[in-house]
Amino acid sequence: MSLKNKLNRLKPHISGGVQGVTSKDSPETSRVEIPYLSIWEGENVTPYYMDQDYCLIREVKYPLSQKHGHYYFHDFLRAVEIWNKQPINHPLSAEGHTAEELFFFDTETTGLGGGVGNTIFLLGYASVAGDNLVLRQHILPHPGAEVPLYQSFLEQVNYKTLVTYNGKSFDWPQVKTRHTLVREHVPKLPAFGHFDLFHAARRLWKHKLDRLKLAVVEKDVLGIVREDDIPGYLAPMIYFDFIESKQPDGMLGIIKHNEIDILSLVTLYTHLTFQLCGLDSNQTRKEYFEVGRWYASLGEKGEAVKVLTKLVEGSDYTSLQAKLTLAYQSKKEQNWEISLPLFLEVADAQDHQLSPDACIEAAKIYEHKIKDYKLALDYCLMAMEIAGSTKVSDPKTQQQLEHRLKRLEGKFAKFPR
Amino acid sequence: MKLKKNLQEILIDLKINDHFKENIVTWKTIEAKNAQTVSLPENLHPALRESLGSKGIEKLYTHQKKAYDNIMDGNSIVAVTPTASGKTLCYNLPVLQSILSNPNTRALYMFPTKALAQDQKSEINEIIQAAGMDINSYTYDGDTPANIRQKVRKAGHVVITNPDMLHSAILPHHTKWVSLFENLKFVVIDELHTYRGVFGSHVANVIRRLKRICRYYGSNPVFICTSATIANPLELAEKLTDEKMVLVDNNGAPSGTKHFLFYNPPIVNKPLNIRRSATLEVRKIAGELLKNKIQTIVFARSRVRVEIILTYLQELVKNQLGPKSIMGYRGGYLPTERRRIEKGLRSGDIYGVVSTNALELGVDIGQLQVCIMTGYPGTISSAWQQAGRAGRRHGEALVIMVASSSPLDQYIIQNPEYFFNKSPETARINPDNLIILIDHMKCAAFELPFKADEKFGNVGTQELLEYLTEERILYQNGDKWYWMNDSFPAHNISLRSASQENVIIVDQSDVANARVIGEMDRFSAMTLLHDEAIYLHQGTQFQVEKLDWEEKKAFVREVDVDYFTDANLAVQLKVLEEDKVNRLEYAEIGYGDVSVRAMATIFKKIKFETHENIGSGPIHLPEEELHTSAAWISLNKSFTEMGQERLEQGLVGTAHALNHIAPLFVMADPQDIHVIPQVKADHNEKPTIFFYDRYPGGIGLSEKIHMGMPEVFAETMKMIKSCKCQTGCPSCIGTDTVSETSKNDTLNIIEAFINPSVLNEVVKECH
Repeated sequence: MSLKNKLNRLKPHISGGVQGVTSKDSPETSRVEIPYLSIWEGENVTPYYMDQDYCLIREVKYPLSQKHGHYYFHDFLRAVEIWNKQPINHPLSAEGHTAEELFFFDTETTGLGGGVGNTIFLLGYASVAGDNLVLRQHILPHPGAEVPLYQSFLEQVNYKTLVTYNGKSFDWPQVKTRHTLVREHVPKLPAFGHFDLFHAARRLWKHKLDRLKLAVVEKDVLGIVREDDIPGYLAPMIYFDFIESKQPDGMLGIIKHNEIDILSLVTLYTHLTFQLCGLDSNQTRKEYFEVGRWYASLGEKGEAVKVLTKLVEGSDYTSLQAKLTLAYQSKKEQNWEISLPLFLEVADAQDHQLSPDACIEAAKIYEHKIKDYKLALDYCLMAMEIAGSTKVSDPKTQQQLEHRLKRLEGKFAKFPR
Repeated sequence: MKLKKNLQEILIDLKINDHFKENIVTWKTIEAKNAQTVSLPENLHPALRESLGSKGIEKLYTHQKKAYDNIMDGNSIVAVTPTASGKTLCYNLPVLQSILSNPNTRALYMFPTKALAQDQKSEINEIIQAAGMDINSYTYDGDTPANIRQKVRKAGHVVITNPDMLHSAILPHHTKWVSLFENLKFVVIDELHTYRGVFGSHVANVIRRLKRICRYYGSNPVFICTSATIANPLELAEKLTDEKMVLVDNNGAPSGTKHFLFYNPPIVNKPLNIRRSATLEVRKIAGELLKNKIQTIVFARSRVRVEIILTYLQELVKNQLGPKSIMGYRGGYLPTERRRIEKGLRSGDIYGVVSTNALELGVDIGQLQVCIMTGYPGTISSAWQQAGRAGRRHGEALVIMVASSSPLDQYIIQNPEYFFNKSPETARINPDNLIILIDHMKCAAFELPFKADEKFGNVGTQELLEYLTEERILYQNGDKWYWMNDSFPAHNISLRSASQENVIIVDQSDVANARVIGEMDRFSAMTLLHDEAIYLHQGTQFQVEKLDWEEKKAFVREVDVDYFTDANLAVQLKVLEEDKVNRLEYAEIGYGDVSVRAMATIFKKIKFETHENIGSGPIHLPEEELHTSAAWISLNKSFTEMGQERLEQGLVGTAHALNHIAPLFVMADPQDIHVIPQVKADHNEKPTIFFYDRYPGGIGLSEKIHMGMPEVFAETMKMIKSCKCQTGCPSCIGTDTVSETSKNDTLNIIEAFINPSVLNEVVKECH
């Protein structure tokens, strides 16, 4: 029996992954001849030849006066300027860079996970040049043409800083992986810094968005509307179809999808900068609180206090959050006089979420710093009462509270005031 | 006051106490052996010399020296040594020496389990730290924290991992491991003998992929294998790695006196020749030892058996020792649970452990004094491995093998010379099994494109590459084949189990807090996790409330009942293609491809202690189909004088006996090869006995049977004849046959199979 017959019979036992692409006739002969070249050229795509092979490069220019979502591209220039004017230590700060140096980058791949076999078939990026935003996309015309792909990509790029959406853990490691396979033939990968906007988006909008896919952020935050967009998850199928048929139609959809992704990164970076620097007049109190909390966690004390103090006024949940964050900040600096009244304010607000922690903190200060065991006991009891009335309190906290209560009762009995 | 007995006193007790001595049919004392040593190699790095000195090592055992010399000369080796003979130094010494003389040197250690890898890391780090050498050794497995993975990849001189991790995490991401692959000088494969059958065939392909990647990065590592005693270590090592090997078997390690006892439980039912259950006898013996606080390991063949014995023993000694002093140990427990048990054994907090063969391997659990096997473990090699658990280094040790009523056990226990004198089994792998091969070709293509004339295994790649291209998994461009699929192939391929997906066991005793307590392969789940099955975990009984076959989840709830469950599997077999047929005068011997369809049908509830059947119920699970290879023998004689019914029972009896003897010849777990009879086989309408491999595509077991058919039948006949029963019993032809004539009919049928003239013809054909 032939191997193939055997294989066909054993098919049910062979693990899955049977959607892909056939190539019956080897495209050997068409090496230098590029199928559908005229269609490509009509889409601003030109071939890049190298040895016996080639890749395709698309280039489009947008005037900076063009609007994408809520922002014009020239707003991005202002964003870079703002960072350069105020020396705040922040991971998104463009301090020390010109606008031209920022590089908005996104890839399309044949799989969703990592691994050496996950091929990048499109490397796209945009950067400012003169009065334009220039977008370039390097396209892999068939597997095996990776030497011209990476050669052309590495020749053209002149950048120090990369701006991506989740590129830190996906796109860039994948570029490094695929580059390793052709490292003998193309220049070394430059090392550079990285702005990952995914993490920023998560910090700022986790409270209001269920999912933080770029498409969701575009729609709900940036005011970008996609028309006839091809969803990204179809990219592998479309590419497999393309290398078989060579027909550019489907690919042009993916190219368009990638283009909008990249343009949205420009808008997103601009918007994030305006949010972080308090320049967005439509900013919600919640967003502004997340900004303050971010600064606090970065140790940018001045900025954090500046932002949070503005939120303290009022009696909504956000003001309680701001007070609590400020209180913790002062506690970290051992500034009890400032932190205690803030904790007390939050404690007295009787909020199920925030007050128990504030009570505990207040009790700690009374116990260890002021040595007023009666008050410490009171706040400990209050914490238990508030926590006990909610269903969500976790058993561990309960246990710790009971432990604390017992200790305080002992101390109070020993040292009544 | 009753004083505790020590091992010497127990040994005397066994010799004189009527309860025991009558049942001990063989008492073999294996004498202590002195060490054979040579001095340390002269060019050994001073730091290494110092480190060994600090551990009290001034000399090497002869086998360690031979291994060292060969490896330093660039030869791949396979070292065959018993438990606790210092085999780790066979590889640690040359590897560390090489790293000390060139810090760029990298080594990859592969252990079959994570537990062993952890052990080895501690061991090698002890040597490294003793002399403050600047060498990094790390384990890399599912438990390695993300933040140190980067460090392991870039700076690990010695990376310690397991084949599954190599398969699914390292090779598919080889670009992150450039510094390892560019400088890889050594690949260490410990516990080589575990890489046999399906698992071994997979691992051989993982190694093909490893070597392919090494070639890409320009390295050509030396392979260092160590193995427990098997008949063909050299052949297995060479087949697994596709490298020329030097055999190192001049063991120079000392060993203490070992008493090896064969214990045959008394007959309780003379007419039926039924013996007292091995499980109950083990309970008696182990209980006696544990009451005297003698550290004992009990091996049992199945997970269920482990749990039953554990329940018995915990009950027996709970007042003296507390229930936590005796633990179970088997696959299906979560890793943290296992680590805790290993630690408890080393520290002495745990006196007894009841284990499946999971503890055969070199997991460090310190020295135990006694090893008890509940039944023959299935292979000679396995039995010696388990025996090695008792008295690992010096001092007296006791090993007791308690036979069950099964034909194989009775054969072994009545033929001690077979066990003590015969060379252990041959380990077989078939890396070119098409299903396994094609799975790994996919992984290999994912890792690097295939070139037109590239070799992968012994099958030409051209046809396979074309097949994968037609299946739209690869894409051909010029003379190269590229991975062109959106999946990650290694994630869909498991090295360990025939079926790809395991069933997760979810405990929902606490509804609000359901938790996963274990997992099981699909085929075992059909008979162990069906609805209403009693599943035992660490001695606790759970009842399966629902087996969600689609989602591969079994939902269980804790119960307290006095029975366990036992399920039946109905099997149908059809010949698809005859590859080889020898048509002889009396019989027809064939080999080829078959389709086997298995379905779990009913289960029985069996009461603890009395083992009586107290109820049954149906199992509603879909049929599982298997395409595999099989060997068969068909009789030309029609046996009309016997009648249909007697013929059928005779064949069932023959198959029952063969089912137990056949694994002896192919070093397979008994469940890897199955025997089924057919009164009228579909393909030739003759009375036929089939032997098939229980893995899609076959792994070469039935092929071996095909070659040795006469011998298998002759041994089976001998076994049945030597059985003392009158009309057939569980120890020979089984109890599925009930008639008075069964045993004679079976013998007549076997005789027909090995009719002298047939036998001669067959022997002639086969040689």
